[in-house]
Amino acid sequence: MSSRSFRRSALLGAGLAAALAVGAGAVAYRSGDDDGGAPRLTVADPYIPLPATPGGMGAGYLTVRNSGGADTLVSVSSPAAGSVTMHRSTDTSMEPVDRMDVPAGGTLDLSRGGAHLMIMDWTAQPALGDELELDLQFARAGRVVVKVPVKPLTYRPGS
Amino acid sequence: MAPLHRPRPRLLTAAALVLGASLALSACSSSGGGGESTGAAKVSRKASTSQYQGTVLSKNFEKPDLVLNDTSGQPYDLRARTAGKTVLLFFGYTSCPDVCPTTMGDIGVAMSKLTAEEREKLAVVFVSTDPERDTPQVLRTWLDSMGKDFVGMTGDLAKVKAAARPLGIAVEDPVVDAKGAVTSTHGAQVLAFLPTDDKAHLLYMAGTSIDVYRHDLELMANGVAV
Repeated sequence: MSSRSFRRSALLGAGLAAALAVGAGAVAYRSGDDDGGAPRLTVADPYIPLPATPGGMGAGYLTVRNSGGADTLVSVSSPAAGSVTMHRSTDTSMEPVDRMDVPAGGTLDLSRGGAHLMIMDWTAQPALGDELELDLQFARAGRVVVKVPVKPLTYRPGS
Repeated sequence: MAPLHRPRPRLLTAAALVLGASLALSACSSSGGGGESTGAAKVSRKASTSQYQGTVLSKNFEKPDLVLNDTSGQPYDLRARTAGKTVLLFFGYTSCPDVCPTTMGDIGVAMSKLTAEEREKLAVVFVSTDPERDTPQVLRTWLDSMGKDFVGMTGDLAKVKAAARPLGIAVEDPVVDAKGAVTSTHGAQVLAFLPTDDKAHLLYMAGTSIDVYRHDLELMANGVAV
């Protein structure tokens, strides 16, 4: 299942890259090319909504922006929790994902109703205002450490 | 945009289909438990000038004849207890990290913007699709984060499935993985039953904004016809 999802993502990524190339007018782009230079990643708007059950099942959302070559998010961990896994919500359920593409010159968006992190087994019950560490492991860029604020349950970036 | 952002476009496509469908399309007759998109594709929007922003149903489902425990552990008869009220009905489970708390939380925020009088006219009912883990106490704690007056119902999963199926909402047995994480498959739409006939008239897909809920809940509370 995950390899199929990955292939689908890769295809979509190629489509996105093609669209970007057309938009830019001049950029020649070879889809699926991993040699587009080193990935240059920044993480924007990370947040963990306060779990509805205190200390219970949580989620994590963030946006990875990439101004360099393609990369892949392969795992996430946290000193604040025993388990952080990558999932994607579908129409009626959610499925585990073992990697998430960060396209060259593109973004990986983890947001409500879509791809997200599932966080369980908190070492301490998260509270509003906490800053928790998430360690994002990328295939090429390596480990990226992010300080993630705990926000109200219904928070959205920019709200 | 991001390649992993698949579900939303699919939902939007379904919504577009719904909006584009003509009156002639026969609506949601008992849809035998297909996925949400299947259910949604069978729903047609009346070519009306409804003030409501949710999807107007042309097939008005009966409110389920469902009796389960509420969060105090007492039997709760959905039809009897909510007769004459507007009911927002959602099926989900408390160990769901993303869609369930987002949907119920957004409804909670929308409710908090209404007057106490308006809130009095509405009942938000959450039916657990994971009753084994969602005990009345677990459900109450979870719901309190979103709405202290939200009703939680939990009990026999077979009854839950039977209640959901005629609404076009598929509910499957929860699956527990090696880490103990529970995944439950359940249609994520919210249905609104109006007090005029206690039938469903409006549908809200996952991802409906707080503003849309606020707008429509205010209309419902004030008895505005669909």
